[in-house]
Amino acid sequence: MLFRRRKRFDDLTEEIRLHIEERAEQLMREGMRPTEAREAAHRAFGNPALLEESSREVWQWPALESVVADVRLALRQMRRSPGFALTALFTLALGIAANVIVFGVLQALVLRPVELPQADRVMTLGRTDQPYPFFSYPVVRDIRDDSKVFSAVAPYLISNFGVEANGVTRAVWGCEMGGQYFEVAGIKPFLGRLLQRADDDHPGASQAAVLAWPAWKSDFGADPNIVGKTIRINKHPYTIVGVTPEGFYGTEKFIQPSLFVPIANEESLEGTNFLESRNDPEVYSVVRLKEDVTVAQAQAELNTIAARIHRQHPEDAEKESFQLVRPGLMGDFLGSPARAFLAGVMGLAGIVLLAACANLGSLFAARTADRAREIAIRMAIGSSRSRIVRQVLVEALVIAILAGACACFLAWIAITGLANWRPPTEYPMSFHILPQPSLILMTLAISILAGVVFGAMPLRQIFKTDPNEAMKSGNAPALMLGRRRRWALRDLLLAAQIALCCVTVTAAIVSLRGLSKALSMDMGFNPKHAVLTRFELNEAGYAGESAEQFQRRVLEKVSQLPGVVAAAYASSTPLSLNAPTLDVFSQQANNLKSPNRAFAAYEYGVSPGYFAAAETTLLAGRDVSFHDTGKSPLVAVVNREFARRLFHSDAAVGRYFKNESGQPVQVVGLVADGKYLTLTEDPEPAAFVPILQNPTTGTSLIVRQRQDSSIAATSELAGAVRKAIRDLDSAVPVRESTGWSSQLGLAFFASQVATVALGLFGAFGLLLSVTGTFGLASYTVGKRLRELSIRVALGAQAEQIIAAALGRMLIVLASGAVVGMLLGVATSRVLSAIVYHASAQDPLVLGAVVLTMVLTGSLSVAGPVRRALRIDPAVLLREQ
Amino acid sequence: MKETAPRDLFPGALEMMILESLRRQPAHGYALVQHIQQRSRNLLQVEEGSLYPALQRLLKGKLVKADWGVSSNNRRVRTYQITASGLRHLEQQISSFERMFEGIALVLTPSKSSAT
Repeated sequence: MLFRRRKRFDDLTEEIRLHIEERAEQLMREGMRPTEAREAAHRAFGNPALLEESSREVWQWPALESVVADVRLALRQMRRSPGFALTALFTLALGIAANVIVFGVLQALVLRPVELPQADRVMTLGRTDQPYPFFSYPVVRDIRDDSKVFSAVAPYLISNFGVEANGVTRAVWGCEMGGQYFEVAGIKPFLGRLLQRADDDHPGASQAAVLAWPAWKSDFGADPNIVGKTIRINKHPYTIVGVTPEGFYGTEKFIQPSLFVPIANEESLEGTNFLESRNDPEVYSVVRLKEDVTVAQAQAELNTIAARIHRQHPEDAEKESFQLVRPGLMGDFLGSPARAFLAGVMGLAGIVLLAACANLGSLFAARTADRAREIAIRMAIGSSRSRIVRQVLVEALVIAILAGACACFLAWIAITGLANWRPPTEYPMSFHILPQPSLILMTLAISILAGVVFGAMPLRQIFKTDPNEAMKSGNAPALMLGRRRRWALRDLLLAAQIALCCVTVTAAIVSLRGLSKALSMDMGFNPKHAVLTRFELNEAGYAGESAEQFQRRVLEKVSQLPGVVAAAYASSTPLSLNAPTLDVFSQQANNLKSPNRAFAAYEYGVSPGYFAAAETTLLAGRDVSFHDTGKSPLVAVVNREFARRLFHSDAAVGRYFKNESGQPVQVVGLVADGKYLTLTEDPEPAAFVPILQNPTTGTSLIVRQRQDSSIAATSELAGAVRKAIRDLDSAVPVRESTGWSSQLGLAFFASQVATVALGLFGAFGLLLSVTGTFGLASYTVGKRLRELSIRVALGAQAEQIIAAALGRMLIVLASGAVVGMLLGVATSRVLSAIVYHASAQDPLVLGAVVLTMVLTGSLSVAGPVRRALRIDPAVLLREQ
Repeated sequence: MKETAPRDLFPGALEMMILESLRRQPAHGYALVQHIQQRSRNLLQVEEGSLYPALQRLLKGKLVKADWGVSSNNRRVRTYQITASGLRHLEQQISSFERMFEGIALVLTPSKSSAT
């Protein structure tokens, strides 16, 4: 089609050339000289280019091609003012990208179901009485056996195993699952078979395991003959019977187990047994609804079953109640906060985009004001208003769509990065948020919307333009000498924006400062120059006495390593996710039910030397010792908060409290307070009990080096500790053995994320206020150029010019900034929940905020000020 | 440009004259200008600026077709030829033009208008 048109236009050009030639020849025959004849022929013909143009117009798809012309013009305009174009592109691209990224995450985590066949039929059980969706195993078994609405019901739990394959033992996260788990999932095996009901019929029914595709791929080298091979899981031989398909990642969105084993073998695997206990909520559960059953019917039946269970087992303390929730986010435990958080962020991103649009709108309006004369001329020579409006809109859309393309690119990078990112925990967590093609459409839609929004802003100006007026007075349709301009909406908008920006900047700087403080805070222990090694002896077949002996042997061996000044082990360490608590009762208490307790204290089983190894200050009394055994009286070392709460004084040594089973425990030592669960918590009570009185197979080994040892020495020591354990028993899977500081990643994670997020928002807020201020300032100067030139001509000084041109602006800026800082100080109180010691009353913080705002302000008005100062009245007044 | 006829007499007039000229015999652009000028005894002078866009409109409407050829005086020319639908269109136009002309004449004739 286009090709044919090209030919047609070439024909026309040729035809016109021949026509002129013929006319010239005719004239020559009539006696003219050749050059004159040619000139006369050309003159008679008029403007061939114009003629060609109007002849071509006949053939054009009228609307479309003039839009193409508009787009070309828009691109030319952008090339002519690259500063404006880049600012606009950048602001808008970031605004759109923020929305697309947030939407992408929202879509992946909340909107899209877990990737399973007929995913709408799959639900998980949540609890109405508590957010965490744990149930006791017999309850889930009752539902499985009694209900008629589910085609499959499966309890499952995520656990760590020591897996020995090809002579190497690794710590692997696996899933212990009921026999109907894969029926709920509804997937087909990639290799071999999946676990079935028979595998889970009774303890020891089968020693079969299924590998997850990623583990098969990475840990087993994608061995195609894997089926039938034997591995050892916690020392027990298991046969790999199959591999799950590639896209399957379990029924939770955050946690990806590498291995599936029957839950019936729970006791032999874990060394504990909760399969018959109705008071031990340990398992999650997933269900698949039958084809014709509605969620409401299923819920009704669940309620009936719950009532029956309560009737049959009235002695149970916990009345478990069920609620069907969409799978993937641990019931509502993660689901509702994730939804709330993402909705909040989405709203924020929307506001950011709107602010970006408002800014671009004012920039656009400023440009339109500069182009008032051009527009007036176009109107005067007969261009219709709609044509001009269309051109302005096309310009806006071109910018918006280019920005959308950049945003798409940015979002793609960000989302892919997020999908490959692992949170700093030892749990097998990751985000399945691969960018979806539908996001491109989403981006396009947002871009067009944004373009229309900000492109529509200068339209009022265009509709108001009266060609006569504009031609007469040029760029300054209304002279405002002496007359005070009314406060316009855009002044308020700008002030609000500056205030908002000030809030984000304050928040960002506050959290940055908080983070830097947190990095040097007193946590009650010193993670520097220490190696923390964690292993689970149960995974290597140890229990009770043998575990204890092994721990002692490891301790002796690592104590002899060069450079080690102290070493100890504990059941767990502060600021790890594992924080068991102990109900503490006063010595007088008789009724030992949870509600009557004095308080719950964090409980750590520790070996002698723990306080030296952790560098926790022992304030009074003694350390625990290896003579505090199961046969000797119970003792504990408590922290000051514990003593303060129970005895209302620091004089705790020698006094007693009662534990959950009513046994008296003597306090033998007092240590300093610390942080146990989060960095921002208030002082919490903690008790350190002798590990021999509280034996455990889960082991956290702390090995402390000399103060002057380097980070390299620490990682060297970590290797040595690992080797020492391997030398003692190569079957013990070491989960982690690194510097203690690096394992506190998760504790610092929230404040780090907050700092990064707030930093980004702060930077973006700054960018927005720069463009906003710049837009309004250049609009003001541009609009009043004529007035300002008259002032200059009449001898106004530089300060007077600036005051006249931008005085109003500066008031707006200053008041916005003051309001923003007050708000910022107020909001930083909220921050203190996430970021340690977040306070805006810090002079350093306030100074930084003020400095940032002043810099930003001057940066953004610098251009317009220069323009105002450079006014040469002669040039301007002559021009107009 | 010298004394020029009004750019277009009324919408469609130029097209009608072109079609009528082409009905008599196919011609190229230059010849059309000459032809219309002669036939109107120099009363009408067709501007190239109107002729070529008009020809393009006719081409687009498939009322004429154009072919490259050689003229009688051995020049390379693009000759326009009326098509069947061009003929039909011309007849319609002429009859409606005649009716319109009659109407205008009736209105403009002074004796009749004052008699009533």
